[in-house]
Amino acid sequence: MSSTLTLNVNGVARTATVSDSGMPLLWVLRDILGLTGTKYGCGIEVCGACTVLVNGKPEKSCEFDVGSAVGKKIVTVEGLADDADGRKAQAAWITNQVPQCGYCQPGMLVATVGAMKAGHHGSEIASELKNICVCGTYQRVSKAVQTL
Amino acid sequence: MTTSVGRRAVIAGGATALLVPVAIGLSKSASLLGGASPTDGASANAAAGPQAAALGAYLKIDTDNNVTILIGPTEMGQGIMTGLAQLVAEELMLTWTQVRAEHSPIVATSPNPYANPLFGAQFTGGSTSMRGWYLPLRKAAAIARDLLLAAAEALTPTGAWTLASGGQVTDGVHSYRFADLVSTAATLTPPTSATLATTRNAIGQRLPRTDIPAKVTGAAVFGIDVQVPGMLYAAVVHCPTLGGTVASMPTSSRGALALVNLGTGVGVVSTDTWSAQRAADSIASSIKWTLPQNTAALDSPSIAAKGLSLVASAIETPRVYEQAGGIDPAAALAGAAAKIDATYQLPYLAHACMEVLNCTAVVTATSAEVWAPTQAQALCIPTVAAITGLPPAAITVHTTFLGGGLGRKFEMDFVTEAVKIAKQVGKPVKLTWSRKQDFQNDKYRPCATIRVQAGVDAGKAMSALLYRNVSPSINIQRNSSPGNNPEDTGAVAGATDLPYAIPSRRIEFVPNPADIPLGYWRSVGESYNTFAVESAIDELALAAGADPLAFRRVHLSGDPRALGVINAVDALSGWSKGPPPSGSARGVAFLKGFGSYIAIVAQVSNSGGKVKVSKMFCAIDCGVAVNPDQIEAQMQGGVVHGLAATLWGQVIFNKGVPSVSNFSNYRMLRLSEMPVVSVSIVPSEAAPGGVGETGVPCVAPAVANAWAKLTGARVRNLPFYPGATMGDG
Ligand code: FES
Ligand code: FES
Repeated sequence: MSSTLTLNVNGVARTATVSDSGMPLLWVLRDILGLTGTKYGCGIEVCGACTVLVNGKPEKSCEFDVGSAVGKKIVTVEGLADDADGRKAQAAWITNQVPQCGYCQPGMLVATVGAMKAGHHGSEIASELKNICVCGTYQRVSKAVQTL
Repeated sequence: MTTSVGRRAVIAGGATALLVPVAIGLSKSASLLGGASPTDGASANAAAGPQAAALGAYLKIDTDNNVTILIGPTEMGQGIMTGLAQLVAEELMLTWTQVRAEHSPIVATSPNPYANPLFGAQFTGGSTSMRGWYLPLRKAAAIARDLLLAAAEALTPTGAWTLASGGQVTDGVHSYRFADLVSTAATLTPPTSATLATTRNAIGQRLPRTDIPAKVTGAAVFGIDVQVPGMLYAAVVHCPTLGGTVASMPTSSRGALALVNLGTGVGVVSTDTWSAQRAADSIASSIKWTLPQNTAALDSPSIAAKGLSLVASAIETPRVYEQAGGIDPAAALAGAAAKIDATYQLPYLAHACMEVLNCTAVVTATSAEVWAPTQAQALCIPTVAAITGLPPAAITVHTTFLGGGLGRKFEMDFVTEAVKIAKQVGKPVKLTWSRKQDFQNDKYRPCATIRVQAGVDAGKAMSALLYRNVSPSINIQRNSSPGNNPEDTGAVAGATDLPYAIPSRRIEFVPNPADIPLGYWRSVGESYNTFAVESAIDELALAAGADPLAFRRVHLSGDPRALGVINAVDALSGWSKGPPPSGSARGVAFLKGFGSYIAIVAQVSNSGGKVKVSKMFCAIDCGVAVNPDQIEAQMQGGVVHGLAATLWGQVIFNKGVPSVSNFSNYRMLRLSEMPVVSVSIVPSEAAPGGVGETGVPCVAPAVANAWAKLTGARVRNLPFYPGATMGDG
């Protein structure tokens, strides 16, 4: 059943009319709210391309019902620049020239920031990162997180 | 849609080379001069920047004096936007912060200033972009520089104008910014030639990529991110059996706004991608399919068995793609002091681009506009024209960023589907394939069965090589017609033109026709032939009692660049200095290909009976190293791509049904499995060679050679570990 929900995305209250409250957050962000930074990779919680923060914790938005996101703070890659940890991670990514195609990087960055928020540093962050990068930027990701 | 000319044929120069005159992009008569300002996919989402004026086809200069370079090839991760922008920055003495780069328009008229000068078509593949554009784009930029100087002279005749850094010209007293000159310059007749810069302020520098800032904020627009006002969303269902076509389908479905018969599948249109996918799933079982007749031609175990029989038997007329030396290799082998006879088998592979196939289209009665993550710009407009019946001039196609291309996005199937759906619904539509559709409807890397017979004489010198590749051929599959049975020398790329000193050699290709759709997979023929060649060289060295690296060095001594990478990888890996840490072993492989030379040493250990790759040492000579940092990135990425294929990559087809459906059963490398990759770039002033594919082919043989050294077990059939899943440790 179609319903209208209010979501807190990147600190802004956003209204979304969805056909079903079981719709994954990923597609609400991308197709309803137009925030296309968060990516679809597998749809089954394997690749991590769709990672967003929900109340500071990394979640795979491809299987995260939008209904369960109501009332929680959602941060996407577009919101990282508003956060000190996010800016630090983005700067480390630029310094280390991490992205190639860049498609996996929103998920990789958000997962990194999530690990930072859980109190991890350096190689502890690296061991939290299970995201798939088909381009193979792992060596640079590892190097970048050493500075975080 | 089938293409009339194969990519490999075109890219390898098999088609008539059409050299675009370098001045064409700057000629007054070129239709683009001062025409509509080119844009890329980003424009669909983002607001336009400050007013920019075009100077020919390759340059736009805005009022803030930022210089935007329009790039013909597709940026799919390889860093080509940055590399080509560096060439222009060098000639124009630009400050890097004022440089922008974006995709050029796709041009259907001829001559197309964005066609790769190597082969005269706007395609991105075969690691040809830097090779094709290195001199032509520099010349075009140098001509632009002379035009800007002439414009300054026209405005203020002092006879003393010279180029200054930061996008300016000066006569010692006054100066003009390029932005002040561009409109005057555009009225002048460009010279036909110009002197190239001899400086190395941009070329050869580790300049940061132009596209990375947008790739860390989420602002970069990939094909899948395109948004057009009023857009609907589509998913697609294809037949679960390859090659099946729609026999009957429902006319409506709950949650779907429209169902479109695509012939090879059904397009399902809805209000968002998830609803479209859900509706697609719900109708899947009610579509009736006409299955292909010959499912044996779609069965990979049968195809592999046929390959094994063809590789071993006498063939009346194998296609001999290289024959060298007066002596028949078979006769030479009979008298060899030591010899090997080994058969290698490689599986079908999927591309698994991180970004699934997608395309956005708007089709009206009078025009069509398409946003495509494409590597085959030159095919897009003819494809759209064929579906819509519109004249090429009424069709606009934008190249977006690609979330990986890997050769898959050279195809037109996903573009065709999006345009058909958009045409039928009469509204803008974005088609997104599900990951399952993407895996199960790929154009797969051919499987291959390769037999190598080789021998050495009493002095441990290679005397003969008899090589037979049996595989389904991409080119034959695409371009055969009654009376036309095309050649496919690409099928033995990586086995012909070997720089090894081998006096007697014969390289044969025997097609193993099958109906599984084939495509170009990053490094194409070299992705299987280099595994066979470099495994066999290793086996032969061991049979001769020689050190595998020293054996290669001896046989490559006639080619200084080959020798250069062998020596560089020796120094980098410490091969000749002493043994690796206890419990580990090294293996080496070499390739001359894509206009470059590369040698890789893998260092491996045994982790519970399985290979663990801890270090990869790469030495590359790719001619002038335009951006060493990006060459290193491509080597790191090439290792990851090659390693996943070596260890786990495989698609099995049982009577036309693919065995893989998602990353869960098509295992990819994770960060924790990443070996440490070190790269040595051999200094070279040779013309630039390719780097995007070059890093891939040596990975498998280097790892297999190291594993054989460590354990004595020779892996001749890839992958090492079939049936792996992402859940495996
Ligand atoms: S798209 Fe969600 S984990 Fe892959
Ligand atoms: S940068 Fe391309 S998939 Fe990670």
